[in-house]
Amino acid sequence: MDPALLVQMLIGALLGISVYLPLATGQLTLATPAFYAVGGTLAALLSTRWPVLGARIDGSFPLPSFLLELALGGALAGLLALLVGRIVLRLQGIYLAIATIALVEIVRVAILNLPFTGGAVGIFGIPQPFPSAAGYLLPALALLLLAGWVCQRLEVMALGRAMAAVREDELAARCMGIDTTQVKLTAFVMSAVLAGGTGVLAAHFLNTWNARQGSFDSAVIMLAFVILGGSRSWLGPVLGGLVLTALPELLRPVGDARLVLFGLVILSGPALFPQGLVTPGLLERLGRLGDPAGRPGAEGSRP
Amino acid sequence: MTVDPRLAPTGGSAASPLLELDALSCRFGGLVALDQVSFAVQQGEIFGLIGPNGAGKTTLFNLISGLTPASGGQVRWRGEPIGGLGPERINRLGIARTFQNLRLFDSLTLRENVLVGLHRETRAPLVEALSGNAGFRARQAALERRAGELLALFGLDARADDSAANLSYGDRRRLEIARALATGPALLLLDEPAAGMNPAEKDELCALIDRLREQFQLTVLIIEHHVPLMMRLCDRLAVLNFGRRIALGSPEHVRHDPAVIEAYLGGQASAAGERR
Ligand SMILES: Nc1ncnc2c1ncn2[C@@H]1O[C@H](COP(=O)(O)OP(=O)(O)O)[C@@H](O)[C@H]1O
Ligand SMILES: [Mg+2]
Repeated sequence: MDPALLVQMLIGALLGISVYLPLATGQLTLATPAFYAVGGTLAALLSTRWPVLGARIDGSFPLPSFLLELALGGALAGLLALLVGRIVLRLQGIYLAIATIALVEIVRVAILNLPFTGGAVGIFGIPQPFPSAAGYLLPALALLLLAGWVCQRLEVMALGRAMAAVREDELAARCMGIDTTQVKLTAFVMSAVLAGGTGVLAAHFLNTWNARQGSFDSAVIMLAFVILGGSRSWLGPVLGGLVLTALPELLRPVGDARLVLFGLVILSGPALFPQGLVTPGLLERLGRLGDPAGRPGAEGSRP
Repeated sequence: MTVDPRLAPTGGSAASPLLELDALSCRFGGLVALDQVSFAVQQGEIFGLIGPNGAGKTTLFNLISGLTPASGGQVRWRGEPIGGLGPERINRLGIARTFQNLRLFDSLTLRENVLVGLHRETRAPLVEALSGNAGFRARQAALERRAGELLALFGLDARADDSAANLSYGDRRRLEIARALATGPALLLLDEPAAGMNPAEKDELCALIDRLREQFQLTVLIIEHHVPLMMRLCDRLAVLNFGRRIALGSPEHVRHDPAVIEAYLGGQASAAGERR
């Protein structure tokens, strides 16, 4: 497979996890593209305008500078999430979703109109820390493993259990002493840090960056990653992100019909797999692979 | 198999009751759900709250636990006013509750439900938690043991890894109590914990509540419709009717209170009349 497509798929998986994290606390936020745009714009600006980072005339870029950008992009996005989250996370349900869409729009319009972000054309010639697209596989995979590992650890951590409790019944969770505002904010910030870092990676990988990179449309696609993949485990959005990013490219031979097919998959996915591809039942079976005496799972117990 | 009793921090003057309701009122629009209700619960008591449906019992719990703001009056905890605090703050002060309309974390296992209650102790240092090192694993094992012990108190330990959604109604009620206990309360508010149980199960639960009081040095405020059971279990009772406290005192006293007889027998007489 084309390494460039693989990198794109991994970026999709990362963004899927970013949408999944707040959803794991029961909060539907579509803010991921805003944080992705913040990370990407920061990387584009720093690497092209700040000589200290060491971009060379041949278009290459030192790896330590790239790692520094990853940290800065994640931190800036996380900081923004901390500020915005305190306000918007007071909202529930569809109101929260709309408020986060507004954030995406504000960030997009801001990037479009700032005097130093290149307007509608954007920023070109972002220097390359890796000599080829394949080089990006390693950092993308490392980022995905890191994110997956954190999500996996959450399952046994107090924070992860508190997130599940807030998702299941926020009021009951509050009555058990859980500071649900804090829990939701933490998940939102984690989501933003991941999206910001992914934006940094994507800016270098794409070589060019503009305000269209983080738009409302992409928020909908990222949400589809989670819906198709399943929202009960971080593996769901990873699978959804990989598949739905690959699909339009794999369908390229069928021409314009690919958009229709892609739409059909997004439509029929939830109808065929209401819990997503990675269901609790499937996870249970995976967990029992090494345990032949495993009981039958509680799969399909959805009302 | 014992579970360490956790003593909530003591505060306030020694003379003040653990929980004190002072002319507590609650209005929903024009409806007066609670009208100047006052009583005090002493440390170590099992205090009963009875009254017909719609009397305002659950509303009273909602006020104490911080879910509903009072329209008037004050709640004092160890002598300090706690009105206006959110439910998470109130729980951290040592007040835990169950819900009349069960509110379990359905997709979590029984053990996880209880572990959520133990969250204050599950907070390990971040580095330890992320690496899952020996310290974290030891801590985790201790917590799981603790959760198992709490479940065992309610005969639920064998099903610790089942999802809470699969439990029978009675077991769901038991799990809710276990989960509330896990937060280490000094005061436990039980809203109809025996609803849906058969008489034998009710008696069992009754004995269990009494044992829990000893073991955890609990104070219990309990709502329950089964009056004979309440008479046996409770040290004192308050009777609510249409949002007003119409009686307060020992079971013996309450049983013979004319207002209580009127509220209950009057209600039964008219219910019997409707049936005819
Ligand atoms: N959130 C609410 N909004 C409006 N009315 C309420 C609300 N909660 C309770 N009530 C009303 O307050 C009264 C007392 O209800 P409740 O406390 O549930 O009674 P009980 O638990 O004693 O059966 C009832 O008339 C009920 O309809
Ligand atoms: Mg009630």
